[in-house]
Amino acid sequence: MAGGSRGCVTLRGSQFQELLDAKHNVLFDCDGVIWNGETAVTGAPEVVRLLKQRGKRVFFVTNNCTRPRENYVQKFSRLGFTEVAEEEIFSSAYCSAAYLRDVAKVQGKVYVIACSGVIKELQDAGVPVVEEVGDEEPGTTIYNCPLDPDVKAVLVGYDENFTFMKLAKASCYLMNSDVLFLATDPDPWHPLRGGRITPGSGSLTAALETASSRKATVIGKPSRFMFECIASQFDLDPARSLMVGDRLETDILFGSNCGLSTMLTLTGVSTMEEAQKYKDSESLERKDCVPDYVVESIADFLEALEE
Amino acid sequence: MAASKCTRLNGALTRQLLESVDSVLFDCDGVIWRGDQAIPGAPEVIKTLKKNGKRVFYVTNNSSKTRQMYADKLGKLGFDATEDEVFGTAYCAAIYLKTVCKVEGKVYLIGSNAMGQELEKMGIQQVGVGPDPISGVQIDWANVPLDNEVQAVLVGFDEHFSYMKLNRALQYLCNPECQFVGTNTDNRLPLEGGKAVPGTGCLLRAVETAAQRQAQVVGKPSNFMFDCVARQFGLNPDRCLMVGDRLDTDIMLGSNCGLKTLLALTGVSTVADAEANQMSECPQRQKMVPDYYIDSIADILPALDA
Repeated sequence: MAGGSRGCVTLRGSQFQELLDAKHNVLFDCDGVIWNGETAVTGAPEVVRLLKQRGKRVFFVTNNCTRPRENYVQKFSRLGFTEVAEEEIFSSAYCSAAYLRDVAKVQGKVYVIACSGVIKELQDAGVPVVEEVGDEEPGTTIYNCPLDPDVKAVLVGYDENFTFMKLAKASCYLMNSDVLFLATDPDPWHPLRGGRITPGSGSLTAALETASSRKATVIGKPSRFMFECIASQFDLDPARSLMVGDRLETDILFGSNCGLSTMLTLTGVSTMEEAQKYKDSESLERKDCVPDYVVESIADFLEALEE
Repeated sequence: MAASKCTRLNGALTRQLLESVDSVLFDCDGVIWRGDQAIPGAPEVIKTLKKNGKRVFYVTNNSSKTRQMYADKLGKLGFDATEDEVFGTAYCAAIYLKTVCKVEGKVYLIGSNAMGQELEKMGIQQVGVGPDPISGVQIDWANVPLDNEVQAVLVGFDEHFSYMKLNRALQYLCNPECQFVGTNTDNRLPLEGGKAVPGTGCLLRAVETAAQRQAQVVGKPSNFMFDCVARQFGLNPDRCLMVGDRLDTDIMLGSNCGLKTLLALTGVSTVADAEANQMSECPQRQKMVPDYYIDSIADILPALDA
């Protein structure tokens, strides 16, 4: 529920405890929240460990589709997060595969424009994939390239091997309105360490939407699907769940969309000023990007957790 | 401008219309040619217009050819045309970068060799043309070496478009001082036979989305294309006719610049599209209603010959 001057509350002292008592489930975004690049946010591994010790359920919800879940497990371990199980990790790659298999129940192949992380999740889910072969035969153009008649869906995500030919092929497939159009996530750019960025899935999706005059169904935050994916496997009461993220337009909006309480951490992309701007805005839509709570870092939970 | 709009052009009206203009600006794809074939009768129309003392110009959003290359194509298809009558976006983008953006250094170019050539003619060096394959890992891409003489990013049609090019453009555009120009926003290339080839608009959207910035667009319906012609040839908008096949580019340009407009039905838009715009309450859509329409520009010929 948004309205008036609600939101952006900075928690102090016992308020942390009260919040923890009220929430059974904590959903964490990853980049900018629990780690930045290959460095854990100071105190983050402790926070996760202590939350679990307290009996809270912890999930990781990330739009980053560049790794399959098994790689994420390794990264967690490498960065000092002990006992994070694969089942607790929900990436947009994993959820896209789940969507195709369980929701869309696609009967046929998926034409994928995405990195190996996504392709692996699709393969693990048993979803047949038409993969782009790297080097086309010389002389292959969009005018003479073969199209697979079994393609029933197009999925676009982060793809460092994106080419004009892939864009052209995908838009040919999408001319058939029965072919589904999915995107892993809407992120226009992808943050790396040191404040650097690279083009995100959102930019490739925009190209394909323009080419096909169709809008993609976006799996990742702020769309509800990733929450529904978690809820289908675990019993989650939104009222007893807290979403912790660093990007107002994805994490916080996601939390609002799913009826979760939301917390912005300032260790990543969005700033307090940006949160304040949304809070001061007249538009109802923008109010959904206002976090209930703001912390400097999730390490701010440590004091309450260590008691 | 006609009091009523969206009227079918017939014999008498044609003569009246042509008497009221000194210059005729033609879009190319879907108006005077389709792919590599002239629309039957089109070369004769243009020859006859010129014989009747009209000036003729070719105004196209297609960025893949230089003016000279267009003149060559026009010649091959039987049209009477010289280089200086052609205004494509490769040429106009170079003018724009020089005169509006006032670029003194280099341009990072996502586009064709033709665009590179037009830039060079304007004294602007380009970097980036051609294939650009990915190598290394993510952090390498974010740290690609940037040429510090680059003052603008220019995006046009590029069949070598790749993630790496998108990435380089993004890195340049992270600097707010770096200007951002696109040749046009057409979504698809005009094509026969059912295959849809993505147009420059798609590439531009990718770069705009990644950079979270809007490009300055040179091509139709932006006024700039008409301004280029008008400035070089001293045209009076009141005495100009724009002939095109797309309501959202050609006719919109005509409306924006105060030209008379004629929709040729040999291309993209239909009479139904035009009439739907006419009925609409939206002021933007009202700008996409032609004064006249005609099945093909070849139908002008009888009135001209009379």
